[in-house]
Order: sequence, then C-alpha cells, then structure tokens
Amino acid sequence: MAEPNKKRVGVFSLTCDEGCSIFLTEIFNHKLVPWLEKIELVYFLSVKDQTEIANLDVALVEGVVTSARDKEEIEKIRANTKILIAMGSCAITAQPSGQRNTFTEEQKENIEEHLAIYNFLPKALSLKEAVKVDDEIPGCPISEDLFVKTFEKYL
Amino acid sequence: MHTCDLDIEINKLSKIEGHADLDIKIRQGKVEDVTLKVMENVRFFNEAVKGKPFVSVPQLVSRICGTCSIAHMTACIEAVEKTLGIVPSPQTMILRKLTMYSLMIRDHALHLYFFTLPDLFGLDSILDLPEDKKELIHEALHIKEAGNNLSQLVAGRAVHATFEQVGGFSNQVDKAKIPALVAKLEKVRPSVLKLIDTFYNCEWELKRKTNFVAIVTPDYSFLEGQIKSTGGAVIEEKDYWDHLHNVVLPYSQASGFEFEGKDYMVGALARLNLNQENLHPNTKKDAAKYLAAFPSDNIYHNNLAQAIEILHSIDHSIELLKSTDFQKENPVPPARQSGEGVGVIEAPRGTLYYWMAIDDGKIRYLNLVIPTAQNLINLRDDIRKIVVDICGGECPEFELEEKIRREAEKIIRAYDPCMSCASHFLRVNLTR
Repeated sequence: MAEPNKKRVGVFSLTCDEGCSIFLTEIFNHKLVPWLEKIELVYFLSVKDQTEIANLDVALVEGVVTSARDKEEIEKIRANTKILIAMGSCAITAQPSGQRNTFTEEQKENIEEHLAIYNFLPKALSLKEAVKVDDEIPGCPISEDLFVKTFEKYL
Repeated sequence: MHTCDLDIEINKLSKIEGHADLDIKIRQGKVEDVTLKVMENVRFFNEAVKGKPFVSVPQLVSRICGTCSIAHMTACIEAVEKTLGIVPSPQTMILRKLTMYSLMIRDHALHLYFFTLPDLFGLDSILDLPEDKKELIHEALHIKEAGNNLSQLVAGRAVHATFEQVGGFSNQVDKAKIPALVAKLEKVRPSVLKLIDTFYNCEWELKRKTNFVAIVTPDYSFLEGQIKSTGGAVIEEKDYWDHLHNVVLPYSQASGFEFEGKDYMVGALARLNLNQENLHPNTKKDAAKYLAAFPSDNIYHNNLAQAIEILHSIDHSIELLKSTDFQKENPVPPARQSGEGVGVIEAPRGTLYYWMAIDDGKIRYLNLVIPTAQNLINLRDDIRKIVVDICGGECPEFELEEKIRREAEKIIRAYDPCMSCASHFLRVNLTR
C-alpha cells in the first residue's frame, strides 16, 4: 500500500557487521514513532520481509563493496533511489570491514584462494568508489546526532 | 503422504550474520538432503588480528558483529586477561555483568518483538500491527531503550562500547544517573512480564531430543562458571575446545560443530534448562508459573527463555546498580607479555569461545567458536524434521512449497541466529 505523502526509505547492509543498522534501531527507540508520520519504511530487513528495491526517495547504506554481488546490489540501489546516503565508516572509507586492503603480502597470500572462490573484487571499495553518493553520516557506528541531522534534511 | 520429487532452493536465507542459502532435496516424498550453506562475505578477522597489540584487539573483534559486539569484546578481554595473568577487580566484574545485561535486554527484545512477534500475528512486520495492538511497538521501544541507557551509562554505548577495556573500565559510572535508570528498568518490568506471558501461551512446538550446552554461572550473569550439558558433562571453560568437533559444511563460508560427537544446542533455552536455579530471586518469584515449563525439549521455548532472561537481566541490574558504590579505578596491568589463554562467556545466542596466543604483547593466533556455528547442525536437523513431517502429512501439494518456506523461517527465527539478519526474506525457488 503506497503512501503518497511519505518519503520512501530503505536501509541496506552490504558487507559489514551491521552495527550501524543495529545502532539505528536504538535511535528508533525515541525517533521511530515521529518519523513514521513522514516516512514509509519500504526496505529494512531487520523490520520487514519485503525485498523489492524500487522508487526510493532515500537509501541509507552501510558496509563495503567487497564482492561482485555487493557491486551489483549497490548499483541497483543507486539506480532506484533519489538520494543515497553512506552510513558509517565502512561505507564512507571502506574501513574497518575492508581491512583486507591493509594486509601484508603474506596475509594477502593467505586469503587469495578464498577471494577467488567467492568472487571477491581485487579490493574492498567504499560506496563512493563504486557509485555516486549524495551524503555521508560518519561514525563506527554512526553518531546519533549526525544521523538525525542528516536524515531529517531529506524528509 | 507425498510422493513427489522437489528441489527447493532457498536463496538469501539471511538469518544468520551475513547470508545463507538452504537447499532441500526431496525424492519420492522422502527428504534426501538438507544443506545449510553460509554465504557470508568473510572479512578475514583471523588474519587481521595477527601482529596487533593486545590492547587494540577487543575493539577490533567488536566489529565482527554489530548485533552482539559487546559479547565479542567481553570474551576477547577475558581471553587476553587469562593469557597475560590479569585478574580484574570485583567492581570490574560487576560492570561487566551490567554490560552483558544491557546487551541481553536490547538484543533479546529486538529479536522477540521485531522478528518473532510478527509471526505470532501472521504479519510481515511489527509496524503492521493493528491499532489495538500498537502499544506493543511502544513497549518494545521502551524495553530496548532501558537496555540502551544501561549500555550508555556503564559501557559508553550499545554498539562497539567505548569504556570496556582489558583490565577494567576506562570511565567511572556517573552515579547521579543511576536513580533515573533504575526507575526506567522498573517501569518496563510489567511489559516484560506481558511478553513472557505471550510466549508462554504460544503453541508452536518442535520437540527433538538434543544435548543442551551452556556455562552455568552462580548468579546467571553470563560470565564465569563451569560448562555443563544436559547429557551430564561438566567441563572447565579452558577445556571446552577439547570436547568440540569441527564439521566442515560443504559449499559454505562457515563450519559447524559437534559436542562430544553429537549435535547440540547453545543459547537461552540451553541456559534455562541448565541454570534455572540461579536466576534472580525476583525473577523466580514473578515468573514461577512460566519457569515450570523448563527444562524443555521444545526448541520454540528458546523464545520464552529469552523473554525470561530479559526479566532476570533487569532484576539483577537493579540490584547491582542500587547496591554498588562505584569508584574510580585504574586498569589492572598485565603480569606478563606472552602466553596462551581461553575466554568463554555466554553471548545472547550461546557459548562464545576465544582462544588466543600472545607473543611480546602482540597477537600471534586467535581461534573463535561462535554460537550460531555451534547451532548450525542442530538447526539443519530440525529443519529436516520439519520437512519430513510436512511431507508425511496432509498438506495439499500446491501449498507444500509455501508451508515448507514458512515453517523453515519460523524454526530458523527461533534459533535467533543473528539479530540484524533474523527477519531477512526467504526466497524459495521450487523446481520439479
């Protein structure tokens, strides 16, 4: 059921510990109820089952782009949202979840086989290395104040 | 009784940390194979920790899992301390208990309200609750907030806590904030009792004899004790690995475990089956009717056990906050810079094991046993039992796929494999 006056918002997790979206559920403790007046949460796998990615106004994305599958997903999100916000340190800088980028040659050799079998990219990418990003919310996990300030700009 | 051939492929079964697939092969109505494949993109923590100074590693491993970051941090700190001969102060142990309780309150509440409750009402999401049930959303958010406030006061924040460190806590508890926090914890208590009652009255049942394993702590505080099983094993924490058998799961980016050669289950149900007597007196008093359900072989009672653990975490936290005169303390320094040691705690989803070796203050080796990995084989066997029962039952053939999908989702959710992933979509690809 579409709600025409509400912004369609999606929360997405690429490769990471999902700490930012968990922290977002803590921000929800006192913000969810007022936000639901203004947004329709159309994609957030911690809250609902729906997985269609279409006609989004705001996409909040956490994690790094580490595999071919991640790259496909971020391109699909980008193609279907007006605003794409990189949420947290991984999405903005590719660290810490892209820690393999910082490995020594010896460490890289140890993980080489795994990377090949599971179709990983040569290195883990931040979101802006993969697609155009409209805004960023730093922190590991995201800071509550910065999240509220940035997110509410688009409501 | 069905006699059909089915290949059911469930992609993006993302109910454990990261991604997983489930393949079910049915021939002549008989379940030939159930394969649970963990497809998470590995982030190579076992490599990343090598050579890192021990003081930095708890913050690093905290990033393994945003859901239960506090559990990873706490188990890692315990392993470093055992390795380097650090004995934490009694106040540090109280703060760690409070930190773990804050995690249990938030984490169990999110699982029960956001992931499991919609199934009880036949809904997609808690946000779709009808008007006359909407108060459940508010109750869920208030309980989570109480846990979140406790995390903030004691540990700095709920995800990747900042105050918890090797040898102690870096920040003194702000005593002025305790009365308001205690009041908040007391205020949500009736909602928790209502939640317990809801899951007590839930009629879902899956009984299958299995072995339950958990640390039996003298005050049900998730930290220190002996590891016991319902099969009668009694093991010191440091010897746990000797009783485990690592089972490679084909096509998977993870492996499973057996305990003493058999499948087993860890988590809230295991803890309550083994350690009910050590719950807080107030919990025992107010939840007496519900506690009579334990010990239980019904896997769905994991939900009820989690709800009871929220109550215990609140009750013991209130007592500790009221009875402790928190002082500023300096961290206990290490007695040595090299060694090997084991840290084991009860994470929300079960026994979490860290085994590390440190050389000259730097990590040489780290081995982890994660609760969800320990439950994988038991979970796979439970899914098999469910599919066998459905195939042997009266379900019309055109509804078979949908029923298998729904029931598989339900049992997977009861295991609470990992919070952030626990309500991911299950797509069933059915080929005949």
